[in-house]
This record gives sequence, C-alpha cells and structure tokens, in this order.
Amino acid sequence: MDSADGAVSPPAEVMSIASPINLILLSLFVVVVYLQFRPKAPVTLPSGPPPVVFRTFTPSTLLPFDGNDERPVYIAVRGRVFDVTPGRNFYGPGGPYANFAGRDASRGLACQSFDEEMLTKDLKGPLDELKDLDEEQLENLASWEARFTEKYLVVGKLVAEGDLEASKAS
Amino acid sequence: MATDPTLVARLDALVSDILADWNIYTTLIAGALVAVAISSLVFSNEPDTHPFLLARQATTSPVRQPGESAVYRSLETPYGFPLKAGLNIRDPGALKWTSGRNGDLRDIWKTAVRGVLNEDGSATGKQGKIYTVLGKNVEEHSLDNITQEINVIGQHLSGAKVETVAVCLTDSIELLAAIFAGAFYGYKTVIVPHNMQPDILSAHLQKIKADALIAEAGSLDLSVVAKGNDQLAHVLWVAKYGSRHMDWSHVPEELKNRLEVNVWHNLVEENRNIHGSDVPSYDPSTPTPSVTTVWPSGAALGDFVEYSPKNLVAGISALSSVLPRPQKVTSNDLVLCIDSLSRSYPLCQVMAALFANASVALNSVAGESVDFALATAGVSPTVIIASSRTISDYHKKIMEPHTGVVSKLGQWVQSRSLEAGHMPSRNVLSQLANIGPTAELSLDKLRLLCISHRVDADREYRLTSQQLTDLRIFTGARVVYALTGPGIAGAISQTHVFDYRQHHGPSHFGVPPSSVEIFLAGFPESQVSTHAIEGQVVVSGPAVVSGTTRLLARGRFRSDNTLELVS
Repeated sequence: MDSADGAVSPPAEVMSIASPINLILLSLFVVVVYLQFRPKAPVTLPSGPPPVVFRTFTPSTLLPFDGNDERPVYIAVRGRVFDVTPGRNFYGPGGPYANFAGRDASRGLACQSFDEEMLTKDLKGPLDELKDLDEEQLENLASWEARFTEKYLVVGKLVAEGDLEASKAS
Repeated sequence: MATDPTLVARLDALVSDILADWNIYTTLIAGALVAVAISSLVFSNEPDTHPFLLARQATTSPVRQPGESAVYRSLETPYGFPLKAGLNIRDPGALKWTSGRNGDLRDIWKTAVRGVLNEDGSATGKQGKIYTVLGKNVEEHSLDNITQEINVIGQHLSGAKVETVAVCLTDSIELLAAIFAGAFYGYKTVIVPHNMQPDILSAHLQKIKADALIAEAGSLDLSVVAKGNDQLAHVLWVAKYGSRHMDWSHVPEELKNRLEVNVWHNLVEENRNIHGSDVPSYDPSTPTPSVTTVWPSGAALGDFVEYSPKNLVAGISALSSVLPRPQKVTSNDLVLCIDSLSRSYPLCQVMAALFANASVALNSVAGESVDFALATAGVSPTVIIASSRTISDYHKKIMEPHTGVVSKLGQWVQSRSLEAGHMPSRNVLSQLANIGPTAELSLDKLRLLCISHRVDADREYRLTSQQLTDLRIFTGARVVYALTGPGIAGAISQTHVFDYRQHHGPSHFGVPPSSVEIFLAGFPESQVSTHAIEGQVVVSGPAVVSGTTRLLARGRFRSDNTLELVS
C-alpha cells in the first residue's frame, strides 16, 4: 500500500524531511530526550513537628497540662515532668489516673494510690520531698520512674514556687 | 449519529495521509526514537541509595533545651541509644553473646598484624602492607619488621623510664611505630608538626614536659632545642635512608652529661634479634597512654589536644562504620594518606584502615597543603585521604582551567547521572571527561576520596557542592567530606558517601558520625514558633576530649538534617 502510494506521489515530495510524520516523530524524539535529561528536583520529606522546648515548671504552671481541651497531659515524678499524652486513656480526663494529670504524682505512685489526698495541696508551697516513705514505697516509685523514662519523654522539670530557676524561666 | 462514520473516515484519511509521507528520514528518526527509548529503559540505573535516606540523614531529639536546637545524631545511633564508643573487639574465648571490648591502639596493631580472617575465624595469613612514598619511589615495609621496630624503640624508651615522648617527624613508618610503641610500652606520645623553628619546638617541649624527642636527623640544632628543656634526657634521631652512613650520635659538648643521643636504625639493627617480631602481649584491661596532637590555632604555638585512647577508638570506629557495606575499606584497599598524621582525621582514618587490614601508603610530604598530583604519583591507591585545602587548590589551579569543551560535555552528561543518584561507571564517556583535567594522575583504581575541612580553616578552602561534583566526575571516585574540630577525634560530621545531590554555594558537611552528637546553641528564643536550627556548634560524645566541646563556628541544619557552616 505504502509503496504504491509512494509511486504515484511526485519524487520531490517523497524525500522531503519536513513532512508531518517526520515532524511528529522528531518532536516525540525531543520530548523523550528531554524527559531523560531534564533536571529533577531532589526528593524532600516533610519536616516533622518542631521539638518540644524543655521547660521549668512550678506546680501552678504545670496545672493546666491536664489533658482537657486537647492540651497535652503532663505528670511530674520526683522533679521530672513527663509528657504522657500517648497514654491519654490512662492519665487524661476520665482515665483511672486522671487525678495525676498536671500534678506532682510522686507520692501517689510510690503508695500505689490514685486518691486526691496523695497530691500536694498547696501549689505555692515547697515540693513534696517524700522523706517519710519506706523502702518498699521508694522501690515502687523507682520502678514507675523507670517505666516512664522508657515510654515517655521528659519535657521539663518541676521546681517549687519562688525557686530561683522558676523566676529565671518565666 | 450520522456524522460518526464520516468523522471516523476523515480520521482514517488523515492518518493514511500522514503515513503516506513515510520515507527514509522517517525510518531513521523512528529508529533513533526507539533506540533512545529502549536504551533509557535498559541502561536506567537504580540510584545507589534510597532517595529518602538522603532526604533526612540524621535523627533529631524530640525535646530541646531553651536557646538550643534539638540534638542531631547519626541514623546508626538514634536518640535514646548509646553512642558508639569503641571497636567492639571480641577476644577469642569470650562468651558468644557478650558485647565486645572498646579496645585501644594495641588492638588495632594486633589486628593489622594478625591479618585477614576466614569465615570461621582462622587466619589466612594475608596482611596489609605499609608503603612509604618518597617522590616517585615507593618503599614497601612488612608489618613484622615494623613490629620489631615497635618492640626495640618501646623497650629502649620504657627502659629509660621515659614518660612523654615528643615525635617530630614527617609521615613515616617511624612515626607510626612511635605511636604504637607508646601504646604498648606505656609512654605518652605527642605528635608535633615537623619543620618547625627550633625555638618554637623548644617552647612546645617545655609546655608538654617531654623527656624524650624523636626527630629527623640533621633537622634540628640540639643546643637550641635543649635550652630551657632540662627535663629532656633522650633524643632519638631518625636518619633518612641516604644519610645513614653518617655518625649522628654526636652530642654538643655542653649537653654531653645530660642528653643521651641514639639513632633509630642503629638501635633497631643492634637489638633486632633480642626483641623479636611478635606483637607484645598485653592486658587489655590496662589503659594505654594518651596521644596528643597540635591543633593549629591563631596563636603561634597552636593548642595541644590530648586524645585519650577512648576518644581515639570511638572516632576510629565511627569513621569506619559510617561507610555502607559495599564502600567499606577492606583488605583489598590501598589507602594513601596525603594529609599529616598529626591531624586527628587522617590519623583516625589510617588507624581505621589498619584495623580493616587494608594496605596503607604514607607520604613524607603529607600535610594540609600539598600538590595533589605530585603527592599521589608513584602509587595507585583506592582510597585517598586529603585536606580541603589541598583539594581546593588542585581544583582551582589544575582541574578548572584544564577543562575543555569535550570534557565539559562529558561532565554535563555525568553530572546528570549523579543527580539521578548513581555514580557514573567508568566508560568511554568518563574517559572523555577525564581527557583534560586529571590526565597526569595515576588514579585508575581510586574509588573513595576522604576530604577533611578544619572548622577554623580559611573560608576560601571550603569546597562547594559543584567542586565535589567535579571531583566525582574527574577522578571517578566517590567523595566523603568531613568537618573536623579541635578536641574531636575523627570527624564532627561527614557527608554520606552516596549523597551526590548538588546545591548552590559551599557544600554541607553531612551528619555526625555515630560517635558524637551535635546541637546548636545560642538560638534567640524569641522566635519560639520556628525550629531552632542555627547557632554555635556544640559537639559531645565519646570521641570528644572532655566529653563536650563548644566550637566558635556557627552552623545551621538544612532541611535534610545535614550541617552547614554559616558565614
């Protein structure tokens, strides 16, 4: 078929390089070469959440971090503040340990008691120094602490109201 | 519906019209098109590493201190894991699941002498070699002979109750032997840069309270050096091969009764048979003395940095573990060091090479600023360790001006390939690219170039990303580019060996090796909402002398978590 058509056409037209099919193929060729050599933007990953800034808390500045209104849940154990938000079901509002959210939980954990009276009432007063605990209770506390450091991030430390560091931090 | 058949018919007519113009040119173009399409499919290479690994190269800590950035660490030792502290050496007979010892320099030499192991742990007897390059000549030394020298020199110095030895030599087997003898026989080694003014050297010796000095014969005037150095009691001359016939044991008259002068090769000759060539046995639990080097600072004297054996092994092990498996230095490699062993990065790299049973070539002219082409003549290394200054000079003076049109074309094609993430293989094209710039080099086997940049070095020696790309193309070797600082054994950070990405301006310095972590301090906390990613570089970890050091330089972390220097 092709050769028959070619035979009827005038020879000058047959040998033209600027025929439509040649132009189509040429532009395809250019596109393929371009695709191969075009500069590619390097891969970028979305940047993660910014790191949490380590803070110095006092009992009253720690209080708002109780998990209500989508706030994170923080718990203080022996001066270290843990971000326990991943365990919101336990420590957040409505959870069995909800009393500890935003508070110094050292005494409660040591005594294995989740009652209100385990918490230090006077937020302006000195921190609970846990001097009256017996050996078993201290051991209890240490194992809780070990579990916390394994599972949760330390995002700050707890100092008493009026402490030099507290005034520096605020 | 009536229009449909005519539309189809018209389309059909159009296609057959177009096809009717098929001619010889069409066949040619179609052939080329198919060829390009097929070749791009057949020759398309996988990138050397997954692009995501380069897009985020370090891990960051989720918590940061106020005024500081998050802590950045290598992917090998992420946040919460201990940093790499040692060589993980398993003694024969140790329990199978116990972790290895951190080790020290003695273990490195023992491993080097032991040679390559078979799969089952038996020795193959294949040792690395040590070469010294003197201009175009290369001398080969067996490790057993060097062990002999270590034994002779070590016994001599420890017999004389020497505590601190200043070694003032060019890079040579004697320098290496003196360092290892210090580890085996218990004296502190201080590597002092060679070719110093005698009065400056004298001041150095006073500062470190050296009681022995090892130096090149004829390079120093003893009466000047000994002045004010009453503690100096022993001098050991190392005579060059050509001048060994001379009597170097002469002592100036006024020093005769307090200075003992010996010549290295004489000592070795006399005691060769007494001490033997076995690696001295040692108790791995005993500590080895420190190795001190001089960090060139603004002051004329420079600062002494004392690396404990713990720092050194941490730096050494991290430098060797940072390379991915196929790129690791092995017993088949010949590592040429053209940067002075008095600097911690080359020292750690050479030690890592010895530990990997690779062969090592030392160059007597090695230093921060050497002629790359001359220094690499005579041997055909697979790995080269050089300073940023050497490389930047070479690129400016030789590589750039000698790049012609043909090389440019080859360079362009290859840099596309690099950008796609794979190293161009050596083929006709790379030969083409090499025609101009590296024609005089003997780098046929080169596969890795380790470049270190001093954190306080002149800005103009900082290599740009473009220069690193040129080096990859023209030498055909992969490049790692490290940042070094005073008090940090090995590197502060180093680029990934598969990171060929190009960007504008000076190249970044990659991420910290597994022996250190970095954060940036001095971030103005008013901009609380942003990531803190800029500030003074603070490095800490087992490879850092005194645990933590705050550098004067300011750095910034890029979005891929690599470190770059600011200003």
